[in-house]
Amino acid sequence: MSRIGVFVCHCGLNIAKTVRVSELAEFAATLPDVVVAKDYKFMCSTPGQEMIANDIKEHRLDRVIVTACSPLMHEQTFRKVLAASGLNQYLLSIVNIREQVSWVTHDIEEGTAKSKALLNGAVNRARLLAPLTSRVIDVNPDVMVVGAGIAGIQAALELANTGKKVYLVEKNSTIGGHMAQFDKTFPTLDCSACILTPKMDNVLQHKNITLMTSCEVTEVKGFVGNFDITVKQKARYVDHDKCNACLACTEKCPGKGVSEWDEGLVKRKAIYIPFPQAVPQKPVIDRDACTYFIKGKCRLCEKVCEQKAIDFEQQDTSTTVKVGAVIVATGYDLMDTKPLLQYGYGRYPGVYNALEVERLFNSAGPTGGKVTLRDGREPQAIAIFHCIGSRDKNNYEHCSRVCCMYSLKFAHLFKEKTSADVYQFYIDMRAAGKGYEEFYNRIIEEDVKFIRGKGARVAESADEPGRLIVEAEDTITGKFIKLPVDMVVLSPAMKPRADSKDIARLFNLSTDKYGFFMERHPKLAPLSTMSEGIFIAGVCQSPKDIPDTVAQAYGAAAEALTIVVKDKLELEATTAMVNPASCCACLNCVRVCPYGAPFFNEQKGVSEINEALCKGCGLCASVCPSSAIIARHFTNDQVLAEMEGLMEF
Amino acid sequence: MATSFKQIEEKLKTEAAKLLESGSVSLVLAYGKGYDEKHPMPYVAKCASDVANIVFNEFCTYNMARYLVRYPRGTKIAVAVKAADSRAVIQLIQEEKVKREDLVILGIPVSGMKNPKTGETIDSKTTCGLYNPVLYDVLLGEEVHGQPVVSPYDVLAGYEAMDKDARWAFWQKEFDRCIRCYACRKACPMCYCDPCFIDQTKPKWGDKSPEPAGNLMYHLTRFHHLAGRCIDCGECSRACPVDIPLYLFHKKVAKECEEMFGQAAGMSIEDKPALVNFRVDDSDKILE
Amino acid sequence: MSFEPKILGIACNWCTYTGADLAGTTRLQYPQNLRVVRVMCSSRINPSFIFRAFQLGADGVLVGGCHPGDCHYNTGNLYARRRLAVTKKILEFSGLEPGRFRVEWISASEGNKFAEVVTEFTEQIKNLGPQTKFKIEQ
Repeated sequence: MSRIGVFVCHCGLNIAKTVRVSELAEFAATLPDVVVAKDYKFMCSTPGQEMIANDIKEHRLDRVIVTACSPLMHEQTFRKVLAASGLNQYLLSIVNIREQVSWVTHDIEEGTAKSKALLNGAVNRARLLAPLTSRVIDVNPDVMVVGAGIAGIQAALELANTGKKVYLVEKNSTIGGHMAQFDKTFPTLDCSACILTPKMDNVLQHKNITLMTSCEVTEVKGFVGNFDITVKQKARYVDHDKCNACLACTEKCPGKGVSEWDEGLVKRKAIYIPFPQAVPQKPVIDRDACTYFIKGKCRLCEKVCEQKAIDFEQQDTSTTVKVGAVIVATGYDLMDTKPLLQYGYGRYPGVYNALEVERLFNSAGPTGGKVTLRDGREPQAIAIFHCIGSRDKNNYEHCSRVCCMYSLKFAHLFKEKTSADVYQFYIDMRAAGKGYEEFYNRIIEEDVKFIRGKGARVAESADEPGRLIVEAEDTITGKFIKLPVDMVVLSPAMKPRADSKDIARLFNLSTDKYGFFMERHPKLAPLSTMSEGIFIAGVCQSPKDIPDTVAQAYGAAAEALTIVVKDKLELEATTAMVNPASCCACLNCVRVCPYGAPFFNEQKGVSEINEALCKGCGLCASVCPSSAIIARHFTNDQVLAEMEGLMEF
Repeated sequence: MATSFKQIEEKLKTEAAKLLESGSVSLVLAYGKGYDEKHPMPYVAKCASDVANIVFNEFCTYNMARYLVRYPRGTKIAVAVKAADSRAVIQLIQEEKVKREDLVILGIPVSGMKNPKTGETIDSKTTCGLYNPVLYDVLLGEEVHGQPVVSPYDVLAGYEAMDKDARWAFWQKEFDRCIRCYACRKACPMCYCDPCFIDQTKPKWGDKSPEPAGNLMYHLTRFHHLAGRCIDCGECSRACPVDIPLYLFHKKVAKECEEMFGQAAGMSIEDKPALVNFRVDDSDKILE
Repeated sequence: MSFEPKILGIACNWCTYTGADLAGTTRLQYPQNLRVVRVMCSSRINPSFIFRAFQLGADGVLVGGCHPGDCHYNTGNLYARRRLAVTKKILEFSGLEPGRFRVEWISASEGNKFAEVVTEFTEQIKNLGPQTKFKIEQ
């Protein structure tokens, strides 16, 4: 015999509007073993929680059912109420009548009837709930940050400054990310390198940061507090311990590779550092461009290297790092605009994408900061196309958030560096951010021409060779515009990194339809994920500007700290166990477990489960033919009883 | 047939004696005398003097692989197997119930086996239809050529063509007759669970006494447990005292598994049991 | 009165259950015939749960899990895919209407897909009428 208390929440009108909450409480009172049933306006409020706590004592409740919002919302809140009242926290059941009932129907009859069925199922299951003891584990105090753009750098520095040891993993040969490619940053127009490179240097110098460039995560094992992460160090063919960064090698090298850093606008050497302020400032060899790797002859770099740092025999190596928490900050790619044939990107030399233009402005860029076209001319007229692939149902539905502002920045810089006429083709001007509207107003004053209409097409001029004709509809005048220009700048959609799905798989993250990582809650847990101990920051979560990215980095660092600051951590008790009397030693559990938790005990002739490794998915319980495995909190009995209750009404 | 039952019996005795005398196995799973010639029994020879009791005739239908799991792991066992029986051995090796190196497989190529219950020749449509063992160390006779059936699944055509309501009526009639004697699971070489899920009280998956709902739960779940594992020997159906054609349902599940997962049960010791395995590129079409 | 089916849903915590929550958060409307049991992973679903659900009188059973490759437990739903496919074949060969059991991959971001699937499935079950074959009459 159980003593069950049922607490029905109105959630203001959120639930009460489409579920007759008092009727639901009255219904609950009629169910066997329910000794108290109440409804209340806000069960999660302090008075609501106190009511539950009082009733637990007064009615000597041994099971509590809260009929309210999703368990993903407040299960933890109410578990704490139970624990504080001396009741095991696993003796709680949440019935989700908000997200899965009241919010998805307008019909109060339907809503009330469905709520009764769900509640009946929960009462059935509650009777069979068992008290469980949480596992307490030691926490590894170190943190890994994956991706060393501004988000990763900021998060790593914050954590390192608190005294925590940080492994900062970057797949490129330098840290800095996209921000290091920019010349100026909106709306203040301060120099990107001036604010970023000191941070990059701090990372290199910081005694608590282990910098792992040219590295990729290849395997993630373990769980919150105890991750074992395998990192592949890609061969650089230069021993960075020996290299003294004299860069004699890069001068002599005859090889030519595509400069990723300059967005392919120029070539670089085969042995190279991406840009002068790169961190670490030590070269790597691009195998695909190196004369020796291609032809088997050359090794000029080796000859000029006094430190004997060149090592053509170097192989990829792997190391395993143990950390307690991880921050994923892998950033973004720009959408490839080549498939959008109407814009002629890749076909017409005068069409550029935004990152290429960033490089044109940069004094360390391919043109030394001069705005010249691929043929060397200075443009006389420039069209900037907003929203290329963004806000576009055929490509990416989202707004990329930064394009309006960097397009204004571009306009300003074009005006500063050339005498060109600058045209903005935009759908809406979005300038929500501190100082952004002011920046917009400032650019309006700078004789930039704004045409409200999405750039529709770019074609070659028939009359003037080398010039382009851009077409658009001005939606203010309703007129169709054809304009001759020398240069077109596309603002492509920001999209997740090409390998974001792989990263998601490694770290068990959910992604949205484009591959951006999903946060645990869109408002209240924007940096946590469904995987405990894994946090996200920056554009890998969704497009955002530098201030927002940095703010997220600080936040993610604080989130990671809440884990690694503790010595011990309580883990969910919902693991699986084997009833040895029923085990038939078929070893199915051993075969299927993704975590290697079950093992065969030869001596006893039965399977056992290492609870430290078990994550509680319940797969083993469903493949166990003799029902010997008990998936705690989701036992066969509990699930069957709940089903029975649900189908009764 | 190339080799007579009597010849096979002699060879079986010779091999068994050799293996037991040399000590390379500690027991031989074969057949022995029953109360008459038509009813031979499963028999375990444990020493050379037991060998004289071994028999083999057309009524020796039992799948001796059934008894492999009774002995402690590591016991050296010789087992006499016919075609389907050898597939059971392979399946048990896949499932790590026995180790290949602990077994001496005495393969028996035969056709024309008879059902001890009816005395009639077993219709090869009710079995996997193979004549020769798939895996053996010693073959006790010459391979039998030809195949009695084109596909072990041909027999299903009529049932698959049935309207779903007719099929429901057919199975309801069959399952309703079940007296829950569990002869099917006793005869089955792959049913080695102890306890069986249906004997559990926590949870209680179905009633223990014969009644339609419990019968349905028992049989459907058993079909699932044997999915990708049933080697189509047909012993369950022959053991059934009320003649439920269980082999039909097993064949259907086996056919679907073979189509979906590209492997038949007990054909290779390299395979993994299909239902505790996956391929990343398994098609979602299998769920349609 | 028109036939209002009872549909049992079994949803994994990480994707489909969260997707169902999202459908609520975004106030999508769908029929109220579905009652969801939350499990941690679609791989937790024992085939006998499905048989039992129909015996308990479910007119339809809808299983929801993460998209293959996106399982919170890496490979759970890849096993589930095979095991539930076999479950479906067994139900069909026993004579149950094939349309009564359905497996869908619905991610945490697919609130709209959840609502669409439930709407469509409910309609389908209404067309099939009450499930009487497995149901144990009390």
